[in-house]
Amino acid sequence: MRFATDTGGTFTDLVVEEDDGTITLHKAPTTPSDPVTGVLDALRVAADARGISLAQLLARGDSFIHGTTHAINAIIQGRTARTALIVTAGHRDMLLFREGGRSEPFNHAHPYPQPYIPRALTFEVPERIMAGGVVLTPLDEVAVADVLDAIASAGVEAIAVSLLWSTVNPAHELRVGEMIAERFPDVPFSLSHSVNPTLREFRRASSAAIDASLKPLMGAYLGSLETRLAEAGFAGRVMVLTSAGGMVDASEVVVQPISAINSGPSMAPIAGRHYALREGDYTSVIIADTGGTTYDISIVANGRVAMTRDLWIGEPYRGHLAGFPSVEVKSVGAGGGSIARVDASGLLHVGPQSAGAMPGPVCYRRGGTLPTVTDACVVLGYLDPDFFLGGKMKLDAEGARRAICEHVAEPLGIPVEEAAWAIVDLATEAMVQAIQDLIVNQGIDPATAVLIGGGGAAGLNSTFIARRLGCPRLLIPETGAAMSAAGAMMSDITAEFAATVHSNTARFDLEAVSGAIADLTARADAFIARAGREGKTQFVAEARYEGQAWEIDVPLPEAEFSTAAAIDDFRARFEAEHLRLFTIVDPASEIELIGLRARVQCPARSGGSSFRLALARAEPRSVGMRQVYFAGCGWVETPVWRLEALVPEEPIDGPALIESDFTTIVVDPAARFWRSEPGAILIEGLPQ
Amino acid sequence: MTSTAFNGAQMAVLRSRFDGVVRAMSNTLLRTGRSGVLNRARDFSCCILTRNGDLITAADSLPIHVLSGPDLMAKSVMDFHPDQRPGDAFLHNSPYHGCSHPADLSVIAPVFDGQGRHRFTLLAKAHQADIGNSQPTTYMGEAVDVYHEGALIFPAVQVQRGWQDIDDVIRMCKVRIRVPHQWHGDYLSTVGAVRVGERNLTALADDIGWDRLEDFAAQWFDYSESRMAEAIAALPSGNVSGTSTHDPFPGLPVEGLTITSHIAVDPAQGRVTVDLTDNPDCMPCGMNLSEACARTAAMIGVFNSINYQVPKNAGSFRRIEVQLREGCIAGIPVHPFSCSAATTNIADRVANSVQTALAGLQDGIGMAEVGAVIAPSAGVVSGIDPRSGKAFVNQVFLGMSGGAASPSADAWWTVGHVGNAGLCCIDGIEHAEIIQPILVHRRAFVPDSEGAGRTNGAPSTIIEFGPVGGAIDIAYLSDGYVNAPAGVRGGGAGGGADQHLIHADGSHERLPSCAQVRVEPGERILAVSCGGGGYGSPLERPPEKVLRDMAEGLICADRARDIYGVVALPGGALDAQATHLLRGNG
Repeated sequence: MRFATDTGGTFTDLVVEEDDGTITLHKAPTTPSDPVTGVLDALRVAADARGISLAQLLARGDSFIHGTTHAINAIIQGRTARTALIVTAGHRDMLLFREGGRSEPFNHAHPYPQPYIPRALTFEVPERIMAGGVVLTPLDEVAVADVLDAIASAGVEAIAVSLLWSTVNPAHELRVGEMIAERFPDVPFSLSHSVNPTLREFRRASSAAIDASLKPLMGAYLGSLETRLAEAGFAGRVMVLTSAGGMVDASEVVVQPISAINSGPSMAPIAGRHYALREGDYTSVIIADTGGTTYDISIVANGRVAMTRDLWIGEPYRGHLAGFPSVEVKSVGAGGGSIARVDASGLLHVGPQSAGAMPGPVCYRRGGTLPTVTDACVVLGYLDPDFFLGGKMKLDAEGARRAICEHVAEPLGIPVEEAAWAIVDLATEAMVQAIQDLIVNQGIDPATAVLIGGGGAAGLNSTFIARRLGCPRLLIPETGAAMSAAGAMMSDITAEFAATVHSNTARFDLEAVSGAIADLTARADAFIARAGREGKTQFVAEARYEGQAWEIDVPLPEAEFSTAAAIDDFRARFEAEHLRLFTIVDPASEIELIGLRARVQCPARSGGSSFRLALARAEPRSVGMRQVYFAGCGWVETPVWRLEALVPEEPIDGPALIESDFTTIVVDPAARFWRSEPGAILIEGLPQ
Repeated sequence: MTSTAFNGAQMAVLRSRFDGVVRAMSNTLLRTGRSGVLNRARDFSCCILTRNGDLITAADSLPIHVLSGPDLMAKSVMDFHPDQRPGDAFLHNSPYHGCSHPADLSVIAPVFDGQGRHRFTLLAKAHQADIGNSQPTTYMGEAVDVYHEGALIFPAVQVQRGWQDIDDVIRMCKVRIRVPHQWHGDYLSTVGAVRVGERNLTALADDIGWDRLEDFAAQWFDYSESRMAEAIAALPSGNVSGTSTHDPFPGLPVEGLTITSHIAVDPAQGRVTVDLTDNPDCMPCGMNLSEACARTAAMIGVFNSINYQVPKNAGSFRRIEVQLREGCIAGIPVHPFSCSAATTNIADRVANSVQTALAGLQDGIGMAEVGAVIAPSAGVVSGIDPRSGKAFVNQVFLGMSGGAASPSADAWWTVGHVGNAGLCCIDGIEHAEIIQPILVHRRAFVPDSEGAGRTNGAPSTIIEFGPVGGAIDIAYLSDGYVNAPAGVRGGGAGGGADQHLIHADGSHERLPSCAQVRVEPGERILAVSCGGGGYGSPLERPPEKVLRDMAEGLICADRARDIYGVVALPGGALDAQATHLLRGNG
């Protein structure tokens, strides 16, 4: 038996996988001050559901997979360790310069951001390596010792080191690391070339600084998690989800905690990839995971989960650029809590202000007075005020209607249901725009892609989103409400190792590239040995046309550059990828190789699995009718179905509402839907 | 034609969809551009105009590129080519016909409906690494006229017919523009952006209908005008004048050149008038403004001083009147005066004169001066790369700050200059050292150079760099040594610009403000960029912010005491009593 948890802001989701591969979902409230409590509570819910004790349940488990926002929350809330940064002389302000760029050029209300490590705790050491790796100025070890004296008196808890060109020649960073270890045996430190071996010193320094600052805290957190699980009766392996969409042993995260900063959200596309293959062999997938305040979008392109090196903690440009490779998850500030208002000149706005969980939408009766997207869904009849979350919460439909009337319908001079539709429509538009930006960047044609809706609110407007995008099919997986935790169960044990190697197809430096490949292979093999499973390693080249600023990832079936034919093959693969992403190739231009990455993948479970959700069975009939408003149709008498009660593979024409204890799915009159055999809901446009 | 008005909800959706078209254009340029100016510095802009040339949206484009300019260019294309066809595209970079300056090579294409009616116009403007000038720079301050400047000028010249390049024009460019392969890559990106826009706009029209899209534009202008009127109504009424002085440069008076703007704010009518006619005539240098830049710089000064949420388009622009004079250095240029550096130096002075004048109206309005440019750390470098033996030319973005204090916040430090507003990226050291054969020895912010105020302007940057393996040329035009960025309402000036050549023996030689300099191996350039001005009295700055900057080593204890009236105890905590006394509160 395996357990996977995803600790969210409100709920901790738990997925339990039986030895026969079937899975069950459980939820418990998150305790923000002590996330482990929420995890244990969710396990207790699962034990209760099976009529056994927590200890009995845990004793049956052989691995526990944990997604956590502990690291990212610590950064956002400023609870990380007091950390010093050591940089190359002349470049103390590395973290202060950033990479430029700004949003909202006429908005002068945002001051320049503070650096991740204060300038006062940033120290220079005399040394300099040049672009080719040649030492221009040797490391001044006397000066390093003086810096360590200064660091000692500054009372720091962690140290990061980021020297220029350390990725090409790490000698100076390694030596500084040795000196730190000698001087402060108990202070954790991070070396930039080891944390994030990428060209671009700001990103590397930022990654190293974030990593070092998380070490004391994540070491303590994961230690406590392992201890408390053991005390409760768990004797298996504790795994942690990474930003790269895989899992590693908790001990690996203690060594490099930055790898877990996007731990939970990175799993939605892993689940999405599984369901897209299962329900129609789709290799282009758009995954939307909805929450109360954000809408998270991720992409699978050509069967591969899209990655980014532009992971921001906080708002782009105003927050911190982690610089660390991560699954690309774009968050839009549009959710059920987004507030609708009409400005003085008569234009409707939805968001970015959100009512959040508190006070929440008007219909939650927690003191909210401004209309939100959720309130609009109540007015439109999408949400049943008496059966929200399976009847656990009664909604104030009249309050929702009043708020929309007063704040939207009257200022716009339109009926209240049209106003409610306008709110949903504008929120939908914001989501569509965000998805379009992402799919353009990933070279995806929506006409061949499937849209996957996850999270409790995805069913409300995903039909409209799919239509606007031109996605022929929408898929709401049976585990939609806990998609990240389900993805955790489907993920592999993975790691990625990187090397900066600068070369050019006009003058290929075979020696340097072969050395890097050998080094990466050795590190990958060592990881596979530590993981204790069969594993395979795939290489990715980071390459660009000569003179371009940004590299693209080129998957290589084998890392082989020793012959002219091999280099021609590399060019062909680069150009195929460039064509897919940017629609152009430039055969006259040389190609620069900037770096190589080795991606290691070890299956986390022995044998395959269908990850089939154990579903209760019910009578196949609609449970009633409800008046629902659809744009262009007006109020329509609409049948309401229980999800569990649908007969597999039997298409039903819209309009319809499909309800479960976790979600409501809206199918408008222009669409039809069916339940797949394993339990997903599929929706497509009615044939014209 | 339908004439039903859109409600506020439908408007909001369509606005978002138009912006989406522009973002798709911009993404194309950013991701496929070849020169550093495009792909690192983001020095490009895209926009949608009506068929008559009224700006609908330019999303997050560079302010100096798009407020005015695209409108004038689109109109000039209409004048020169009254019989446009689907698939046409035009090159435009003529500052005498609406472009900002010759380096901002633009591609303009009409978008037609299925019946052959011209409906909208798309424009993508991209700053080139080179435009064929007589010297390897795109900002030739000392050019006595356009012939000396030597830029290739395209006053709305057709470059595509039936979606295919007219190769005659491409060949001309390839023989007159340095590093032609890089230029051609950037051209393909720019055309690509326009064609992506055409495809997406047509798809939008398939959904909504061309007539309805035109109806939307008209109504969107009215909405934007109404927002603009509201924003101006929030200002106090009055007539104010502002000045901002550019340093002495080749071709400018020896005492420098003062720009004056006279501004009338009429909140009751919801109108602002900026009169730039009281300025000197065009001069024999590359610093003359194009009409586009003169208009836009004045508008930037206004938009920097009001509610930032007012949409920037032909509708809101109806409420700003910019009065220009033909033959004026900050007006409508007369051929053959050169406008090589029209987007930066004098334009920055125009915008600064407007926003500092507005600050004089009332506390809480306007902004301090943004620092001047272009220091050698943002200059154009060229030479032969010893690693490949090939010629290179590129603008570097190693360091610049310049941000001015606003009434509501400390500056955003890395704004570049007032016309760029911080959208530009800054080169990574390692990246710069791979792309060009240079070594960056030092990059830092200069302590004690911030524009002190209740809110602070940015500190200066200091960059030290030199060639590796062979000489390089560097061209720059660095204003702000004599006239550092001024503060407003009691705020102090930010740090000024400066530049030196450090010889191999370590001796320093001060360099002129505007030059092209050969830097030999073993030599280094030391470039100091301008900071930005402060807003309000530094004595009103919250003491905890002063202490934080002190702890960070950004200001020294003497400056905290003398300028801010803040005294720290040993250990860094506030000496409340001494501070109270110094600040004269009693």
